[in-house]
Formats: sequence, structure tokens, C-alpha cells
Amino acid sequence: MIQSKNIDFYYSDFHALKGISMEMEAHTVTAFIGPSGCGKSTFLRLFNRMNDLIPGTRLTGECIVDGRDIYARGVNVDELRKQVGMVFQKPNPFPKSIFENVAYGLRVNGVGDRKFIEQRVEESLAGAALWNEVKDKLKKSAFELSGGQQQRLCIARALAVKPSVLLMDEPASALDPISTSKIEELIHELKKDYTIVIVTHNMQQAARVSDKTGFFMLGDLVEFSDTKKMFLNPDKEQTQNYITGRFG
Amino acid sequence: MSKHTGQNIAFWIFRLLGLIVVGILLWILGFIIWNGIGVIDWEFLTEAPTDGMTGGGIFPAIVGTCCLILGSMIVAFPIGVMSAIYTTEYAGNGRVVRFIRIMTDNLGGIPSIIFGLFGMSLFVNTLGWGDSILAGSFTLGLLVLPLVIRTTEEALKAIPDSFRTGSLALGATKLQTIRRVVLPMAFPNIVTGLILSIGRVSGETAPILFTVAAYFLPKLPTGIFDQVMALPYHLYVIATSGTDLESARPIAYGTALVLIVIVLIMNILASILRRYFGKKVKTN
Repeated sequence: MIQSKNIDFYYSDFHALKGISMEMEAHTVTAFIGPSGCGKSTFLRLFNRMNDLIPGTRLTGECIVDGRDIYARGVNVDELRKQVGMVFQKPNPFPKSIFENVAYGLRVNGVGDRKFIEQRVEESLAGAALWNEVKDKLKKSAFELSGGQQQRLCIARALAVKPSVLLMDEPASALDPISTSKIEELIHELKKDYTIVIVTHNMQQAARVSDKTGFFMLGDLVEFSDTKKMFLNPDKEQTQNYITGRFG
Repeated sequence: MSKHTGQNIAFWIFRLLGLIVVGILLWILGFIIWNGIGVIDWEFLTEAPTDGMTGGGIFPAIVGTCCLILGSMIVAFPIGVMSAIYTTEYAGNGRVVRFIRIMTDNLGGIPSIIFGLFGMSLFVNTLGWGDSILAGSFTLGLLVLPLVIRTTEEALKAIPDSFRTGSLALGATKLQTIRRVVLPMAFPNIVTGLILSIGRVSGETAPILFTVAAYFLPKLPTGIFDQVMALPYHLYVIATSGTDLESARPIAYGTALVLIVIVLIMNILASILRRYFGKKVKTN
């Protein structure tokens, strides 16, 4: 389970997130929607501490993943990022073979047993619905794959270190419709084993894949509820206006 | 005059200037080859100078220059690559880094004779290494350090951040990310820095003048504390202060030709390396 309590976040002087509190249950898909610059990606990147890489940021409040405040003193960030995997907007496989891309997370965590790595690579590729397409060319460069396949490879790469949470930052926005629908099917499958949080610009996508949806605007969490309710009968007028396309 | 004619004239001027540059290079090369090819034979490449340097070969100088190239690269590369990793990957863009950058650029602007004097005072005298391959390599290494740092920095900056964040997001440490993802990708461009440095090192005379180069030393070095002859200095000697300048003239051209060919071979080797590794890390 993931929880945020009274999160305020600043980029230098810019107040990017304003008092966000929410809870995401295990084995559910939560979608964040909202116009560009609303803070949804910033909020997502809090949970694997990716914002740490940006100089001049400041955070108050608590971020709790599996019962632990991940910003507490003494938290090992590398360990956290194993536990909370991430898939980025643009597929970013490494310039290595398909096999080595998936094995990377294991290797940097000190796993050397070849049998074990081979097995985990197969599991992960199968988990990302890519195994059948690549099983005969594992030694080929990851760049020979199509954009959609590359994105599924990045998902497999994240799965290989056995995270409990998977963060997805607009994972399908650089892909064609067929690849997009494959990623969406995959999200349905992955929900059984992982807690998934997805940021998307595409409201139909949020409606299709998620159990709960949060609507962000100008750093506020305007509304957070079951996806069905959000799209059929939102509480706030702002939400209604955004969903029906009156702005954004 | 129409816009179109103007563009045509500009285009022809640019093209002409481009051709002039190529022309000058070919002229120099042709001149050296024309005058130098005559003395090049097996004996010239494998024997020591004789007859007050008006006869024999230049083998000791070839060996000496190769030793100095190797030695200076061993000195400059680890230091240069590691400081570039520090400034681009670790240090951010604070005051300290900007100071280091400015100092690096200043170091690159210091005339090479100053490096020669500095090397003599520090390595030869203070540290007591004497005129030696070691002293010469360190002096030449310092000389090319700014070049190595700059080219490595550019190579590292050219790697998109998405590869770094991708690696960090999998729980890799910064050091693992640099070693396993960033450096392999930057390697082809770092090799380009190596090529440039070798070209620079093999042609320098001033830094080796007081630190390693021997006027005449027919025997080969046996260790890093030996003196050696070197091609650029040998060329300088037989062109200006030999016993019989006129009869040594063809040997001077021959020496110049050998120097150019050595640099050329290094460049070809480096570009083969570059292509080999470039293929392995090609991005989309």
C-alpha cells in the first residue's frame, strides 16, 4: 500500500504540490490525470525518490510505501528503487542486448548466478508479454525492437528486480494505438502482482485501465475517487469540465 | 542582384575556402612525401643515425616517440577521464566546478615551452628523475590533460539523461550507472580525444627538450629512467644544428614523413576502435 500524508513539494520557489494526501491500495491501478504542469508526474516521482536528482527541490509531509516513510533518515534509496520500479514516457532501453537489458537490474544488485539470471529474464519477459516475440533473438540489440516492444522491454526490465510497486509515467504516449492497447492489456495482467500508479494524458486510457483516478490541477488534488464514479458522476465541477474537454 | 545570385556567390565562396583548406593540407603532405620518400627504406627505419647524423636511420627516435606517446597517455588518460567524470557526473554546476573548468581551459592555453620548463624543474630536478622517459611522459601528459578532460566532458554530456535515470530507477548506484551505462556509450567519443591527444603529443618538441630528448643516442632505452631520442626533436636537430645541414636535408624530410605516418597509423587504429565500439552501443 502506498500513502501520502500532507505532501508539499517545491522546485526552488515554485510550489508544485499543495498538501496532497491519498492512499493507493495494493493490487490496484491508480491513474493520475490533469493538464500539463499540474504536478501529477512530480507526485509520481516522489515514490521512488526520482525528484532527488533535481537540485533545489524541497519536500514536507510523509510518503509511505509498504508501511515505511521513504523520506525518513537512513532509507537506502537504491533499495527503495528496487522495490518501486518505474517505466518512463519514452522507452529508454540500454544500448545492450535484449537479455542484458532485463538482466541489468539483477547484475547491479550483485546477482551473478547465470541459471538464476536466465530464469528471471525469461519470467520477466513473459510477464511483460514480450517473451514469445524475442525468445529467439535475446542476444540482439534492444534497439532493433519496435517502440512498443522497447517499452514492454523496459517494463520487463523493471519487473526483473521484483518490485512491489510499478510507477508508469505516460508509458504509452510515445506509442502507436496497437502498441498502446498491448500496454493497457499488460497493465490489467500486472495488477494481480503489483501495485500500479500511472500518469496519463489520455482520459480514455485512465478510464480503461484504472480502479481509482486522481485529478490534479495547479498542484492540488482536486478529486480522488473510483474511476467509474469520476468519469460518470464527478463531485467537482472542475473535474467535470476537464473530463468533458472544456479545458486542458 | 537577385537573392538567388547572392546565395550562389556565397555558396561558391564557401566551397572555394573549403577546397583551399584541403588543398593546403594536400600540398604539405605532397611536399613532405615528394622530398622524403627517397630516403625511406628498411635501413632508415631500423638503424641508428651514423656519420654525424647525415646517414643511417632514425630507429631510436621512432622507438623514443612511441615510448613517449604510450607513457603520456598512461599519465593523462586516467587522470583526465576521472576528472571529467567528476565535473560532469558528480559536481553539478557550482562555483568549484566552474573554477575547475576555467583553470582547465587556462592550462590548455599555456605555451608548451612553459610545460617544458615546469617539467624540468619539477620532474627532472626536484623529484630527481633526471632526463628520462618518465619525466617526459609526465610533462607531455600534463600538456594534453586539458584536451583529454574537455573531450571526455563533451562525450559524457552527449549521453541523454534518460539512460542515467533508467539505470538509477532500477536501483543501480551512481557509480554503477556511470561504469555500466554512461562510460560504454561515451567510449567512442572519448577515443576521439585519445586520437587528438596522440597527434598533439607526438608532434611536440618544446616539452621534451629539457625533460627527455637526447641529441644523439643510438642505443634503445631499457627502462623508464632512460633518455630517448624523439622524432620531432630529431627533426629540429638535423634541420638546424647538425654537422652538415645540406647533406642531412633528405633525412629531415624522411623523418617528417615517418612522424606523419605514425600519427596517421594511430588515427586509423583509433578510428577502427571507435567504429568497433560505436557499433556495439549504437542508439536509435
